Amino acid sequence: MNMKWISIAFLFSILFILGLPVEAYAHGARIEYKIDMSIEIVATYDNGDPMAGAQVVVYAPDDPSTPWLTGVCDDEGRFTFVPDPSKPGIWDVQVRQAGHGDMVHIPIGEDTVATTGAGGYTVLQIVLMAACVIWGFVGTGFYFSRRRA
Amino acid sequence: MLVGCAAGKVATGTLQFYANGEDFVREGFVSKDGWSINFDHVYISLADVTAYQTDPPYDPHSGADVKGKVKVSLPRTYTVDLAEGDADAAPILVGEVKNAAAGHYNAISWKMVKVSSGPANGYSLVIAGTAEKAGQSVDFDLKVDTEYGYSCGEFVGDQRKGILREGSTADVEMTFHFDHIFGDADTPMDDELNLGAVGFGPFAGIAEGGKLDVHMAGLQAKLPAGDYQALVDMLPTLGHVGEGHCHCH
Repeated sequence: MNMKWISIAFLFSILFILGLPVEAYAHGARIEYKIDMSIEIVATYDNGDPMAGAQVVVYAPDDPSTPWLTGVCDDEGRFTFVPDPSKPGIWDVQVRQAGHGDMVHIPIGEDTVATTGAGGYTVLQIVLMAACVIWGFVGTGFYFSRRRA
Repeated sequence: MLVGCAAGKVATGTLQFYANGEDFVREGFVSKDGWSINFDHVYISLADVTAYQTDPPYDPHSGADVKGKVKVSLPRTYTVDLAEGDADAAPILVGEVKNAAAGHYNAISWKMVKVSSGPANGYSLVIAGTAEKAGQSVDFDLKVDTEYGYSCGEFVGDQRKGILREGSTADVEMTFHFDHIFGDADTPMDDELNLGAVGFGPFAGIAEGGKLDVHMAGLQAKLPAGDYQALVDMLPTLGHVGEGHCHCH
């Protein structure tokens, strides 16, 4: 499992929030952003072969009997979806192919921004990472706006 | 038997436990080495059958014992015939528990045990049937006395199982994959299933007069060592929950 919690759109949105200069917005451009927290699963057989084309069923925490989403893995056994953040709890993902199958249980909490099978990012870590990204853009802005001697 | 605790009145329903040999047992199938196998009886003896509500959900890959906040058990040992009924027969109802606490039973454990009475007396598993190939026919009766314990997570299949709501009935299933022993002609020969399976040819090779009635000690004495070891390796992998694998101990 892997979480993609940040996107290019998100990086642009940071600049917009800071009100950094200037040219990029001079013509009335409007940039909206949306932060998607997608979940990517990778399904493999025990020997490491990807479960290419395997059936995927996703169950949301509020209705464990009814599939919330269905799909298939790609050639590398990957499947990505964006859970509904208004439904915190355990999201269950079942993958099946040719008589083999497994189910993974992914905790999505209100304060869970991202997790992986090996542990996730806390809110504090996310804030620190975002601050680093912001500072990188600020520094880049100062570099290009400096006056030549 | 219901084991669990909660304050006040507990919402309950009926939880049923099924055993399923799948279409392989009900309809018969062709082994990896081309033997057409049909089963007369597949007696399997089950004990300590327990369903659990686990949080976080039990992971059989962990190899740990199942620990649930609520568990429901069948009270005794059961011998069932997975080949009972015709090709369209339903899975076998092993038992049920009324007044089981409502909730999601997302793990199950059981033991496959040697019994001292009934049609499988002295064994934990008896596989009886007929195999045919190219004009040859072998009536076989394979008797296993080894005992196994299985710890499994949630059922993996077409429908989700084990979600018990107040006043309703839900079921959990113990599934047994006999293609792991004989292989499956409909599966690629380089699939791990067929690479690990014994096939039926080695059993046919030790039959006498078209009959083979043998237990594990006899198989160890008569089968080529590699085939016997393959059988020993595959027997613990019989137990599943639908298509989901279990931990065998």
